[in-house]
Amino acid sequence: MKQHNRNLMNPFQLFWYNIAEKMKHIPSGLVSLLIRLGKFFIRVVRGAARAFARGTEIFANGDVFTKLSFIIMGLALIIRKQIVKGLLFFATQVLFILFFVQFGWNYLKDLGTLGVNAETEFIDPVTGIIMYNPADNSMLILLYSVFTLVVMLAFIVIWVQNVKACWKADRAHKEGIPLNPFKQEMHSLLDERYHTTLLIAPTIMAFAFVVIPLLFMILIAFTNYDMNHQPPGNLFTWVGLQNFKDIFGESATKSKTFFYLFRWDVIWAISATFLNYILGLVLALMINKKGIKGKKVWRTMFVITIAVPQFVSLLLMSRLFGDSGPVNLILQNLGFAPVPFLTNGTTARIMVIIINLWVGIPYTMLITSVILMNIPAELYESARIDGAGTLRTFFKITMPYMLFVTTPYLITQFVGNFNNFNVIYLLTQGDPKSVWLYQAGETDLLVTWLYKLTVTYQDYNLASVIGILVFIVSASMSLIVYNYSASAKREEEFQ
Amino acid sequence: MSTTTLRSRRISNGIIYTILSVMSVIWLIPIVWLVIRSFQKEKGAWITTVLPQGYTFDNYIRLFTETDQFNYPLWFVNTLVVAIFTCIFATMLVLMISYTFSRLRFKSRKMFMNIGLILNMFPGFMTMIAVYHILKAIGLYQSHISLVLVYSSGASLSYFIAKGFFDTIPKAMDEAATIDGATRNQIFWRITLPLTKPIVIYTALTSFLAPWMDFIFASVIMKDNYNKYTLAVGLFRMLERENIYEYFTRFCAGAVIVSIPITILFIFFQKYYVEGVTGGSTKG
Amino acid sequence: MKKIIVMMLIALVGFGMLFAGGQAEAPVETVKLKVWGSQEDQALLKEMVEEFKAANTGKVYEIEFGVVGEPDAKSRYLEDPEAAADVFAFANDQLKDLVGAGALYELSGIYKENAMKDNGEGSIGSATLNGKLYAFPMTADNGYFLYYDKSVIDAESLKTLDGILAAAQKAGKKVFMDVSNGWYIASFFLGGGGTLGIDANGKQVTDFNNANGVAVGEAIKAFAAHPAFLTGDDAVLTGGMGTVIAAGVSGTWNAKAMKEKLGANYAASKLPTFTLAGKQVQMSSFAGYKLVGVNKLTKYPVDALSLAAWLTNEQNQLKRFQVRGLGPSNTNVAKSPDVLAAPELAALAQQSAYAVSQNDVLGNYWAPAEAFGALMEAKDYSKSIKDQLDAMVAQIVQ
Repeated sequence: MKQHNRNLMNPFQLFWYNIAEKMKHIPSGLVSLLIRLGKFFIRVVRGAARAFARGTEIFANGDVFTKLSFIIMGLALIIRKQIVKGLLFFATQVLFILFFVQFGWNYLKDLGTLGVNAETEFIDPVTGIIMYNPADNSMLILLYSVFTLVVMLAFIVIWVQNVKACWKADRAHKEGIPLNPFKQEMHSLLDERYHTTLLIAPTIMAFAFVVIPLLFMILIAFTNYDMNHQPPGNLFTWVGLQNFKDIFGESATKSKTFFYLFRWDVIWAISATFLNYILGLVLALMINKKGIKGKKVWRTMFVITIAVPQFVSLLLMSRLFGDSGPVNLILQNLGFAPVPFLTNGTTARIMVIIINLWVGIPYTMLITSVILMNIPAELYESARIDGAGTLRTFFKITMPYMLFVTTPYLITQFVGNFNNFNVIYLLTQGDPKSVWLYQAGETDLLVTWLYKLTVTYQDYNLASVIGILVFIVSASMSLIVYNYSASAKREEEFQ
Repeated sequence: MSTTTLRSRRISNGIIYTILSVMSVIWLIPIVWLVIRSFQKEKGAWITTVLPQGYTFDNYIRLFTETDQFNYPLWFVNTLVVAIFTCIFATMLVLMISYTFSRLRFKSRKMFMNIGLILNMFPGFMTMIAVYHILKAIGLYQSHISLVLVYSSGASLSYFIAKGFFDTIPKAMDEAATIDGATRNQIFWRITLPLTKPIVIYTALTSFLAPWMDFIFASVIMKDNYNKYTLAVGLFRMLERENIYEYFTRFCAGAVIVSIPITILFIFFQKYYVEGVTGGSTKG
Repeated sequence: MKKIIVMMLIALVGFGMLFAGGQAEAPVETVKLKVWGSQEDQALLKEMVEEFKAANTGKVYEIEFGVVGEPDAKSRYLEDPEAAADVFAFANDQLKDLVGAGALYELSGIYKENAMKDNGEGSIGSATLNGKLYAFPMTADNGYFLYYDKSVIDAESLKTLDGILAAAQKAGKKVFMDVSNGWYIASFFLGGGGTLGIDANGKQVTDFNNANGVAVGEAIKAFAAHPAFLTGDDAVLTGGMGTVIAAGVSGTWNAKAMKEKLGANYAASKLPTFTLAGKQVQMSSFAGYKLVGVNKLTKYPVDALSLAAWLTNEQNQLKRFQVRGLGPSNTNVAKSPDVLAAPELAALAQQSAYAVSQNDVLGNYWAPAEAFGALMEAKDYSKSIKDQLDAMVAQIVQ
């Protein structure tokens, strides 16, 4: 039935129909996402409870060495001749204790207040000049507390492994089964437990460079870390949900600016993504049309523009279209009035979308033209036998195939455009600024606004709230669409 | 074929040639303008005419000879070193992650994958300063190693493209090898890896390019350490209020020099680039 | 005299440490300091530091140099105060934020006395907040004034903005000013009698939207709408001076380029008067200075203070003027005939009589002021000047 409907539609309807089809999944996707998140938490809690029960059971049934291994890691293993493994556990414990005493605790103990000691000054008796006792550094307390907590979590995981291994050794000893030699255990890391080997480095890096900073930044949203509460001279502290309240209404200008920029950001992301996609596809179709000579040369012409770094090409663009730039100079020489390309709110918005076409079309062209060449010839053959014209073939075969293959690409493009820092920052820096907006300009996206708030105005807390909101929008969008997209389904087809 | 269809095809091709020519001119104008400005004789970022009044090769020469203020050659080498190591490290990471998620089955695999996907969505600038402090805490203050780590971890979060590629390689080959007694490690190196050349090249290419393009992270990490700047940071400095008049033409020359190797790389590897972006689906 | 006292202080500290350590043999103390300066200052800075070392042989100084220009000092400092330089130069508009963040070591004792004695009142004012002195003045040239082409604009036209515009228009040339910039646009508002201040709660207050402010707004509107008006960034001014531009508002950092472009016609002057509700009113400006501050987190406060004092003393301010043409804040150097003969520094000195301190300007001011200027430049009159100014002020005072 659905198939039948589609055949009746004209190309445009079909295109929007396909998009609407995808959109339909969003509400249900959101619900299922929430449900899955809920289930995930339940699983975590249940798992923890089970693990605790199991732990007490082991403690009750284990022999004295196993019991001691709860406190001295690896002891039971060393006794049972698994010396290397036991020593590794023990070394981990020693390192952790050293870390905690030397570093972690100093910060963790102040997490609740984020520091209380303000700076004091005194006159140095010897030199007669003012000296300072430094204040607590709230930012470092927060950051290193998060760091310590993550390290603690990792330590708990290792500790659980330790208890398990000791219990295993205990039982093996009682039942008289020989244990796997260390070498063999290592070997399993290359086979049954290969995933552990491969994921260990990426996981550590993800924690160090993404998870910890992320937790830190999320926590900043609940503090008053701004211009007036800057370390090292000042303390900042927890303020609960105040910053969220500001954005959602309590502070009229901030909330107005947020929603104004959010709306523009969505308009921008949609137009940038789809215009680039459609026009890039048209360009690819033209280049790939039968009988057009010099395909490679045409393609290379456009590819060159990709290779010039954006910070160069976009800065040049903003000079080209400046109020007294070459384009306006030529216009004036031809007798036209100069156009405020990037200095009037509306024209600037149109211009950034147009200039972004210059940036984006070559990418789409490159990608779609290779896909075009790869569409199975049989498909076209059968369409021709059916007597379908060029246009119908395009909308019946080319377009659906293209959309199928490039859905993931489109999603990443959309999210990428929603957060397209480079193009906006390099072209306009968000300008022209607006008297109606809080520290923002007409072409600012949420990310560029966020960047300015941190770098220029030190409104870290506000920026953090915006970051969280941007994150929620883009993460849920991509998660939903990705899980519904072809590539997630394809995973099972192949395996 | 009748003559009328031939003629109409010729006309339509003619129209296409015209459109293509116009478009390539539009696309190349900024590039050509960049090249022209890099040869501009008079100083200054803004000139009162559309084209410069005189031309010279000096801007290129002085880029390499007058290094006391802007050490272009040093920055070029810095960037190259960072790019090479990022390329190696990021490729390894991406391959490891995507192979694991595509081929190995283990507890909480889906969870890991979704978490990776979500983490990739967080705007990086927000965490920049925290990342800097962590790097400092682990003793990598103002080091090129920290740049390599940051770029690589950024690249590795886009593992899902590579994963899609791995998914298209039939699993039957792995199974046959397992029967022959190969460990998973051996399968990875001997069977899977050779089949994934396009994605390896794609990852290598994109991660190699990142250090040439980034001007924010590098400046946050390197701060005041002029000798460790990468090209993008250094070139940006030429555009500051005090320097732009004197150095704009050299900025253009520097940009042209960076663009040449990247263009060549792109032209050579564009096929793999596309296969990479589309996760291998283009193999039809 | 000053040097001797500094030396004595250092010696005293050395003794203090000697007793504290209870060591029999005192090894020469090694002091590690980091200094920030802009890229084009590096060579000069190194030279000055070598001289500092030579003058202070009592200790071993290991001095490291970092490239951070004065405009970036605040943001670079705040990213990581611990890794920031012990001694760094910054523009005076950052003083408030830096002090607010607890970044600057308050000058006291002999350092304060000497700095106050040697430097001009304005420069000391720009480094003072709530009665405390936070930095050593280094230059007094970070303000703005008017560059002009002598062959186009005669002494009579130079007096008023209208005269300058008319003269430029007659010659088919333009008058340049970056009106969409809070720093420059303030010259109209402040000149017209507007005030920027800070209330008891530490919030910015301003009267730029009262009746007088609206009249100023109209004057800006008329200026930006004049056919001879040209805006843009510094690149436009340096590129077009002499050929398409006859006069432009800018600062000393462009002096070299202006001289190159104008040659024999190079001239500089204070800002003109502008027509406010039919009367001529002198344009004001922000007084701009570059200061050298000491990081409050420094491990060697005495040495850092001594070095900062050294970098800004009379001898080095003179050197800075001779090598780089930077205008001194030191009163003796400012009176030297060479300095007085430099047209751009003379213009600045003239303008300084009408300049206003930036200490009462908070971060919230800049973006809305720029936005208002942008509206005028884009000739966006969709809302009345009063409405636009009200919106601007609402943003500034929050």
